[in-house]
Amino acid sequence: MDPNDLLSGLVRIYSPSIQERAASEYLVAQMNALGFRAFVDDAGNAVGILGEGARDIVLLGHIDTFHGYIEPRIEDGKLYGRGAVDAKGCLATFVAACARVGACEDVRFIVIGAVEEECSTSKGARYALTQYAPAFCIIGEPSGWDRITLGYKGRVLVDYEIAKSVTHTASGARAAVEDAVAFWNRVATFAAEYNRDKPRVFDQLDASLRALNSDDDGFTDRAKMRVTLRVPTGLTIAAVEKEIAQYVDGANVAFSSEEEPFRAEKNNALVRAFLNAIRDVGGKPAFTLKTGTADMNIVGPAWGCPIVAYGPGDSALDHTPNEHLDLAEYERAIGVLAKVLAVL
Amino acid sequence: MQANCPECEAEITLDKPMRGEIIVCPDCGAELEVTSENPLALDLAPQEEEDWGE
Repeated sequence: MDPNDLLSGLVRIYSPSIQERAASEYLVAQMNALGFRAFVDDAGNAVGILGEGARDIVLLGHIDTFHGYIEPRIEDGKLYGRGAVDAKGCLATFVAACARVGACEDVRFIVIGAVEEECSTSKGARYALTQYAPAFCIIGEPSGWDRITLGYKGRVLVDYEIAKSVTHTASGARAAVEDAVAFWNRVATFAAEYNRDKPRVFDQLDASLRALNSDDDGFTDRAKMRVTLRVPTGLTIAAVEKEIAQYVDGANVAFSSEEEPFRAEKNNALVRAFLNAIRDVGGKPAFTLKTGTADMNIVGPAWGCPIVAYGPGDSALDHTPNEHLDLAEYERAIGVLAKVLAVL
Repeated sequence: MQANCPECEAEITLDKPMRGEIIVCPDCGAELEVTSENPLALDLAPQEEEDWGE
């Protein structure tokens, strides 16, 4: 199958998180036609296995997309559509590169189009974690065809809620919303102080205020706040939560969507294979560290194998109305990945 | 096998270089990439860039 047809077909099937079934079934059918042993697993992931060898190379992409349908179209060699970059382009790159290399005696290529990567459950990756113990893992996220992603920040969401008796505004007593603002100011100060000697964004603790609401019913004064923290590799989620727990001051605070930060090693056979493959086709490789999170945060620490994220496209287009992938770059990424897989 | 650090020109000896291997110059601390095994060639290792996103 033509790789462009594979990708176009996948992008045409709108598959926001929890609505991936049709896209998974499409990808399974395409992988079966290409010689994979493909199936939808118990989590809903599209899985394709090529080869019968003893060593597993897992290529873990995701088949769900950010929400918001974009009419698929090709203009000036670019495929526009939701998921073209994040991350169906990467997933199609995986399938096309494996098919190009073909079944090998000593390895199994396992392509996974995981479900629910774009929501906090990460259901597909968490299920895959229990099914495989790979020698190498490649995460499917856009790095650009000549760049290799080595790490992602961690993340924790903080939900703050306070309720107190209504007081007169002339009383001098602090309102619930003022308590919430004081809490936010302490969180922001903690982040600023941590970041003082850290010029690189990847090393910084990012605090972001996402929502603040307040109301009263004449008797009880309430405030709610949501804060997102992007956690660098120099901190753990537990350390951040322990610090923030000191700022609670009578409110209720709940932590959720916790993902530890993760940074992969860069001196191993997998990274060497990528560096060489990119150079062999005339590229100048670069490493990248991302401020977001990905399924690497989940499987990287657990599998403990050499791991990178790779895929065509500009991640600045992730989640945007202008999401598109240059098809020439897509073909270059397939070529690079096929060279990598051929030597692992 | 010997080559010079492209940053400080220190002489570096490697027993079994692997293409794509990342090493650290013992003199200046620069990260270097083995771009050729025989003859041994070293280049500055790829930069670590930072990027928003997933």
